[in-house]
Amino acid sequence: MKDSALRKAEAIAQKAASERQKVADRQKASERQKAALRKTAADLLAQKAVDLVIGYGRSSGGDVVPLFVSRVEEAQALEWNQHCTYNLVCYLTDPEVVGSLERKEKSKAGKAETRAKDADKAGNARPAAGKVAIVVKGCDLKSLVVLQSENQVQRERLTVIALTCPGVADETGRLLAKCEGCPPDVYNPRGELCDLVVGEPVQRPGGESTGKQSGGPLSDPENQDSTYCDVEEIDVLNPAERRELWDGYFARCLRCYACRNVCPLCYCKECVFDQHDPRWVSPAAAVASNRSFHLIRAYHLAGRCVDCGECERACPVGIPLRRINRKAARVVEESFHFRAGLDPEAKSPLVAFANEDPQEFIE
Amino acid sequence: MSGKAESVRQAAGAVAKPGEDNTKVKKLKIVGFLCNWCSYAGADLAGVSRMQYPEEIRIIRVPCSGRINPLLVLKCFQEGADGVLVSGCHPGDCHYQEGNLYARRRMLILRSLLAYFGIDERRFHMSWVSASEGKKWADTVRSLVEDVRAAEAEVKAGVPVW
Repeated sequence: MKDSALRKAEAIAQKAASERQKVADRQKASERQKAALRKTAADLLAQKAVDLVIGYGRSSGGDVVPLFVSRVEEAQALEWNQHCTYNLVCYLTDPEVVGSLERKEKSKAGKAETRAKDADKAGNARPAAGKVAIVVKGCDLKSLVVLQSENQVQRERLTVIALTCPGVADETGRLLAKCEGCPPDVYNPRGELCDLVVGEPVQRPGGESTGKQSGGPLSDPENQDSTYCDVEEIDVLNPAERRELWDGYFARCLRCYACRNVCPLCYCKECVFDQHDPRWVSPAAAVASNRSFHLIRAYHLAGRCVDCGECERACPVGIPLRRINRKAARVVEESFHFRAGLDPEAKSPLVAFANEDPQEFIE
Repeated sequence: MSGKAESVRQAAGAVAKPGEDNTKVKKLKIVGFLCNWCSYAGADLAGVSRMQYPEEIRIIRVPCSGRINPLLVLKCFQEGADGVLVSGCHPGDCHYQEGNLYARRRMLILRSLLAYFGIDERRFHMSWVSASEGKKWADTVRSLVEDVRAAEAEVKAGVPVW
């Protein structure tokens, strides 16, 4: 009796120790990765290969915030930890960021002539102007691929620093839902889509090539049900139940547009929801207009959304926006056999067609 | 654009004036977007052939089914339409070669999102009607009205269409 109890206690202690070891290892790896990231950014800035590095930093309160680094010494403020949830790709099409880079470039162009002469004398190449480096996780990289396929970024002026990612967590330290089942080719980004990969390849439990995420390999039909099980849950309800469920969520919506503003793929200069003539959807936060808003938002993301989950994270009233976007993604996948964010050369399915497209619903 | 939105509003609001006797069967408001080249001509043929079909549909002529922005469909529902029909040329017959093929993809997604939000699928129809198919047009409208009525019958009291 005594023996077995002792053995049990020992086993528990051992398990706890190995758990602690694992956490410590992960922390060490993350520290190493952070140091490598800072060095990479500092090098890029020192070589004048880029003018700006967009990455993660810390606010005075200790929270992770987006950080814009344009001087070598500031690169030491770059952060990388499990709370780096933001998708920074949204800044690449941000009018303020783009505008400030353009201004910088213009002022540089004035001095360019004298500098070109100096450079020729020294035998150096002319430094680049208005070039940006961006820090991305594998899931963010997919939204960049879509921007690229839509000609919204000048890829040659962009240096993409991809981080291998053990998964990001919310404030309580719980792994985000989108990270569960994230496929290995996403959390260990592929080299051909980015310029630099920082960090050692990550081993993550579970999620081994299940293709659960929208960035994974096209799942075979058998796999489909588990892929979109969250959507299926709603699909199986009857229309009245679905109506009640969604109207409950839409009644909460404040129309703050946080979901739109945080979305890396919402880059229109004038959004249909801001248009006054015609006024397509009333700006009042009522169930009917909110339903229109969310339907059109999902429609505009159909075949484009890469399920980075930023809209759902930003939503102040907790509307499960990923479930809406993933419904559209499921329809696109099942009907047009397309997944967004995999190929920068691919055309979005809504600006294309095929003669054999399904049309059972048409009389 | 604004002219189109205005005509949607007029088409959707053009019935149910006060004083009308709507105690027996509710008069439906159904908006049909018909492409100029096939479906509109098909509906015209049904008319000149004196075919009988429900008068509850209000037709808006558009240059091509590929012109139909899903926002137009939503606008109809928002303004009080009970059903919406989008009709264009058969695949391969489009006056602009491929407008209807884009429309097919768009309306498929719109339809599944409508259903996902619990809007009865029977309220939104799409059809291919050619200029020679006056009979098909009349049949399409009949089945559309039937479907919308069936959807109406299942609606809980006090729940608006949109």
